[in-house]
Amino acid sequence: MPHAMLSSPILAALNSGVIVIDDEYNIRYVNSFIERHGNMQLAEVQGSSLFSVFVDLPEAWLKRKLMSVLELKTPAFSSWEQRQYIFKLPHLRPITSSSQFMAQNCSMLPLDAPSGEQPLICILIEDATDAFVYQQHLSRTLIELEKANRQDGLTKIQNRRYWEEQLKQEIHRAQRYKHSLSLILFDLDKFKDLNDKYGHLGGDFVLVELASFISSLLRDSDLFGRYGGEEFGIILPDTGLEGAEEVAERICRAVADYPMLFNQQTIRTTLSIGVATFVPQQHFLHDDLIRCADMALYNAKRSGRNRVCCYQSGETEYHKKAN
Amino acid sequence: MNKLGFTEEQRDCLQEIINVAMGLASDKLARFLNTFVHLQVPSIALVGAMHIPAEFENRYQDAEAALISQGFFGNEGVRGEAIVLYKMENAHKISALLGYEPDDVSEIEMLTDISSILTTTFLNGLAAQIENSLSYSAPRILSSRHGNVADVLKNTSFHWEHALKVDISYQLVDHSFNCDMILLIPGEAVTNIKNILDRILEAF
Amino acid sequence: MTLPVLICDDSILARKQVRKSLPESFDAEFQTAGNGLEALAVLRNQEIGLVFLDLTMPELDGIGVLEAIKAECIDCFVIVISADIQPEMQKRVMELGALAFVQKPVNEDKINVVLKQYGFI
Repeated sequence: MPHAMLSSPILAALNSGVIVIDDEYNIRYVNSFIERHGNMQLAEVQGSSLFSVFVDLPEAWLKRKLMSVLELKTPAFSSWEQRQYIFKLPHLRPITSSSQFMAQNCSMLPLDAPSGEQPLICILIEDATDAFVYQQHLSRTLIELEKANRQDGLTKIQNRRYWEEQLKQEIHRAQRYKHSLSLILFDLDKFKDLNDKYGHLGGDFVLVELASFISSLLRDSDLFGRYGGEEFGIILPDTGLEGAEEVAERICRAVADYPMLFNQQTIRTTLSIGVATFVPQQHFLHDDLIRCADMALYNAKRSGRNRVCCYQSGETEYHKKAN
Repeated sequence: MNKLGFTEEQRDCLQEIINVAMGLASDKLARFLNTFVHLQVPSIALVGAMHIPAEFENRYQDAEAALISQGFFGNEGVRGEAIVLYKMENAHKISALLGYEPDDVSEIEMLTDISSILTTTFLNGLAAQIENSLSYSAPRILSSRHGNVADVLKNTSFHWEHALKVDISYQLVDHSFNCDMILLIPGEAVTNIKNILDRILEAF
Repeated sequence: MTLPVLICDDSILARKQVRKSLPESFDAEFQTAGNGLEALAVLRNQEIGLVFLDLTMPELDGIGVLEAIKAECIDCFVIVISADIQPEMQKRVMELGALAFVQKPVNEDKINVVLKQYGFI
């Protein structure tokens, strides 16, 4: 390969790496881009094996690719999406901590050699770091977006839509595998008064605090969601009425004893809790189960608040207020 | 095949050029892979690009399929996009073929590698016969595993007017599998191709 | 003496290419066949001295023709023409009695080398 061509100003100005090797993988030429980013001089590396100069190359894989170029006289390619980089070249852009090396698109091109001379391969290295970084951001954004779709904006627990979906699935599962399933519905007692006294910020604060506190009392398998303004639901898979009632009682007592500090004031609140368990013969839709838990919740309110009521099978109406 | 006004002579000429290109690719691949390879081209058809999704829907409907695309650019207006379609069940045979260790390389990388090799050796053979030379863009996966073949093809073939549908049967000593290749070409390329074919026919 | 020659290939273009690659001085009478069955029909009923045979043809391919020629002891020389000249294929073809193997696309030089080598010109 005439060296005059290789030292052309174009190759020096090119913002991509050019490495020319022969069929024994010895370096014939590297351009300025490689010299600068790879911290080397052409004079030092010329004639040396590619693999001794770039020690981190995936040797077996790269040799196979280069061999295909030599034998078939067709180009080979590698994109940053498959392998972030082939040549470990540092990069100055503040990328994420996952890598400080340049992301690369590589092309390996067969070069025509006059007959009698060794065939050559040109390796072209294009900096694809921008695309790589953009892709990382996009992935993170999509994850955040997905989370937002499921989360209640204020309390960060499951939002109503997603939580109801979960309930449908759990009912389906309970039906299919004949497991038990229970539902707890509760709301904050006299929340309107709380809002009036401490303002909406106070009300929001309490909701956030309680959501967090109650979450810590639950098992990993329990599904906690915000059903309404101050109304919440807990799905308890593999739990029968007794177990669910126990959980509900525990939560009821814990919240009653839980002082919250807001603007240097102590706020206390209590819950009214309804519990229902899934009965395949009675509950056909998730709404049916919710209605039962709701009836129990209503009973808890009617009978004095700060307590737990279980749905009694056979009840079809809400109890009238006891005299 | 004559939907776009190719004469019988032109069609025969194109078929022969393609057969020879496949034969040359077969030979090269066999030597590279160190095994007996047979690439057969039972049929080619020239169709409007809009018909492509329907053509492939049946064959790939229930199968997980991979589609790999690569652009090619030559002189005299010869350019286009080559798409290779595989059924995923064939993918494993390919990796053994290429001499990859199972964990050495990802599935995607392996598919793009073999597609690139198939496409470029074939197209180079084609170009050589029409005294042209081609350069190629990097191969891209259009879809694999979870994508719907017809939808992907719709999105791609939308940008092209014509398509040369090439059925490749890729046979090895111990096992055989099929893949399909579609060459998508722009409108004006049909005229260019006819001119080239006429020029070849004139020589004889 | 005029040599009866059969050119067998399913492509009209390919047949023309063979024809055109033969030297002007080649004293021959030409026939063509579009597939293996047609070729055998000619070979069984006429004296053919030299066959140019494509491998990939419909109905009956080149290998099939070679096998039949061998089995039926048909007296003729066969030059196989194919784009695919893998060693395996060449070996197989020679074992079946072919004289030589020429790679497509054919041209004057390639054909002349073979014809000279085997004394046809």
